[in-house]
Amino acid sequence: MSALRATVIRNRPVLFAYVLLIVLGAVGEIVASGFLRINHVDELIISGAFIALVGVGQTFVILTGGVDLSIPWVLNSSAVLLTLWSHGSSGRMAWLTPILLLGGAAVGAVNGIGVAYLRIPPIIMTLGMSTIVEGGLLLYTNGGSGSNAPNAAVYLATHRWGPFPVIASVWIGVLVVATVVLSATPFGRRLYATGQNSRVATFAGVRVTTVRVAVYIVSGVAASLAGIVLAGYVGSSYLGMGDPYLFASVAAVAIGGASILGGSGNFVGTTAGALSLAVLAGLLPILGLQPAALQIVYGCVILGAVTLSSAKVGARRRAE
Amino acid sequence: MTLGATADRNDEILVARGVSKAFAGVHALENVDFGVRAGEVHALLGENGAGKSTLVKVIAGVLRPDSGAVFFRDEPFAPRDPDASSRAGVGVVFQELPLVPDLTVMENIFFNREPLTRLGTVSRRGLRVASEQLFDRLGLKGIRPDQLVRDLSVAARQFVAIAKVLADDPAIVVLDEATSALGPSEVSWLLERARQLADEGKGIVFISHRLAEVQEVSDRITVLRNGTSVGTWPLAETTSDGLVSAMLGRKLEQLYPPRKAEPGPTVSVSVRGLVSGSRLRGVDLDLHEGEILGICGLEGQGQLELFLALYGIARSHGTITVGGVVRHIHSPRDAIRAGIGLALVPEDRKNEGILPSLSVRENLSLPSLGRLDHFGLIRREAEQEFVSPVIRDLQIGRQDPEQVVGGLSGGNQQKVVVGKFLLTGAKVLLLYDLTRGVDVGTKAEIFRMIEELAADGYSFLFYSSDLAELVNVPHRVAVMFDGRVVRQFAKGEGTQEELVAAMVGGTDSASGAASAGGTRPLVSEVDVEVAP
Repeated sequence: MSALRATVIRNRPVLFAYVLLIVLGAVGEIVASGFLRINHVDELIISGAFIALVGVGQTFVILTGGVDLSIPWVLNSSAVLLTLWSHGSSGRMAWLTPILLLGGAAVGAVNGIGVAYLRIPPIIMTLGMSTIVEGGLLLYTNGGSGSNAPNAAVYLATHRWGPFPVIASVWIGVLVVATVVLSATPFGRRLYATGQNSRVATFAGVRVTTVRVAVYIVSGVAASLAGIVLAGYVGSSYLGMGDPYLFASVAAVAIGGASILGGSGNFVGTTAGALSLAVLAGLLPILGLQPAALQIVYGCVILGAVTLSSAKVGARRRAE
Repeated sequence: MTLGATADRNDEILVARGVSKAFAGVHALENVDFGVRAGEVHALLGENGAGKSTLVKVIAGVLRPDSGAVFFRDEPFAPRDPDASSRAGVGVVFQELPLVPDLTVMENIFFNREPLTRLGTVSRRGLRVASEQLFDRLGLKGIRPDQLVRDLSVAARQFVAIAKVLADDPAIVVLDEATSALGPSEVSWLLERARQLADEGKGIVFISHRLAEVQEVSDRITVLRNGTSVGTWPLAETTSDGLVSAMLGRKLEQLYPPRKAEPGPTVSVSVRGLVSGSRLRGVDLDLHEGEILGICGLEGQGQLELFLALYGIARSHGTITVGGVVRHIHSPRDAIRAGIGLALVPEDRKNEGILPSLSVRENLSLPSLGRLDHFGLIRREAEQEFVSPVIRDLQIGRQDPEQVVGGLSGGNQQKVVVGKFLLTGAKVLLLYDLTRGVDVGTKAEIFRMIEELAADGYSFLFYSSDLAELVNVPHRVAVMFDGRVVRQFAKGEGTQEELVAAMVGGTDSASGAASAGGTRPLVSEVDVEVAP
């Protein structure tokens, strides 16, 4: 009982994210009847899934007190290289996928080493990496992009089993694995400890550097996977297709109730955050607003979240 | 106001009358009266959470009282902020030192009051001259005005913070826990200054946990308990026991528990020629099973480095033998594997042993997660079973494993710090200033825990910045000076005076007394290179 109560109290911001999601959905249905019909909900889930896929990596990184700004160009590289190398063949995609995921892991590892061992601030390290990856991709492709996405990727991103989008099963799988890892494994526990106070964690024998490198690897792999699926959704690839996912990933984590400064939050919350952003993106045209308005929302959400987190930290300091 | 104070109220220049302040419905201060006369040192005593700091913040204008008012020279006093308070004549040296680390000492002292040149720019020469005059007046040596605050020790920063407040030449000086970051000889320097300032006609409010300091320096003492004033008495009318029971609201059974057991003959940790950086220059030590070995020394004589080296945080050379096996300790993980645990309260008092927003269970199991790894997962029931004996034996809080550690009392938080290492199987515990800034009741609780664990065969290295604790808690005391152990006192051998003599570098009591009696510039000796 006490354990349950403690869990509820600790996850209050996560519950709030779901309340927000329901409210946004209800607003949509009121403003435009049919907003919540099954076909449209499917569309919202599919567009939310890309945010959730990049959001899982961002969640892990932010929980340790970092941030990954290299997500958009890792995603973009993965999408472009998939279409470029596969020539639309699903057979080639079978062996390209692990290579692309490994590439994402490699970028993540470099990010992690820079942050953990060279002590480069995460914003600078990952921004630098993002620029390097972007430049490398431009050099390699000469500014052009590949041909069509393989059918397997298209299937993964857009097909539905009855009313059930295939990609939702990927999302649920990621949700289950991420939640188990964060809440029930020694690694998850060490990750939270690192995010709350890395010195305390070190003193307790936690290898903080290993934890840091690991979360950036998770983020690199997740971004790469998102790139593969997004190529399938678009049907091809283009330069700049990852850009919207930079702030979307951070905003999803923030709406999901995680402390933007690290140490608290989880992927269940980020899931609600990703869905909320998708619903919001769907609402804006109905309300007669340009898609660019979404960017204003991202900016406000992130700044609001940072303000809230720092206010909380400040209050805790004062209370002590 | 109680006792004889009423008749003399008129000569109190700063008076708080009927001050109440509540946070979220909880009374931090309830109808508190407090007054300071010119020329007196008035001590404010009380446990953590008694309301001392809240009262100080009300006086300095950081907090507005819910009811009641503060009067300064018979005028209502409600400064906008601490800066305004200081300019108006009430200077407060806060616990958290409001210094800018990347500015120099002189820039900090005259922050917002910089002397200007004719062109309107800051006059560096003016700053330097004014700082030097101020330091001369205070007898403060060893701190250069153009040093960066970042490069100063916590003790030196404390002195700079005091100098900063005195630069405004206030009529009232409030010292909030100003001694808690200081070593013994620095404390006596500060007490002398407080006395001197009072003799110059200033009113001093002196806040401290340490009864001995309060009794040494005060003219009157006000005791706060749970946000109310228990009373105000002239020093002569008080006794130690009386003050402690006034603070606690009950009689403290015993601060130092009776000795339960003597150490065994087996050596549990043996250190030979331990060197680390420039501060630790070859330490030899033997720690026996069931022994509490006190480590004492002035600030910066290598005590901290000794603890950090033994725990694998500072790089070191030398031989460390634990339980008869030579161990190479290069990280906290290595130390934990070797059976060593560390509870470290650093100078800035931020607890480095707990994660406040996590539960007791999660905090306790953190260093032992590897053992709870069951095919990659932690089973909740197994974890609960694992931590429950320690929660029970150390009587942590309500004995609820799901309680959030941040909500526990200071004493219970320290039990969590120690408890998590009992769970790793550590038999050697390094306690670095575990009682810093902790009230008397909590101290008694911590000492009882240490005594009981020692009787069970655990060995302790015990450092404290409070000399009285070092005389009373350990079985044996090793004195460090200049990176070495210069003298060891067996149980019952060392008095405080002898310890002090050894701490300032005397290897035997005679030469120790000589150098202790000398008037070497205190701060330079402690903070900067030792001047011959």
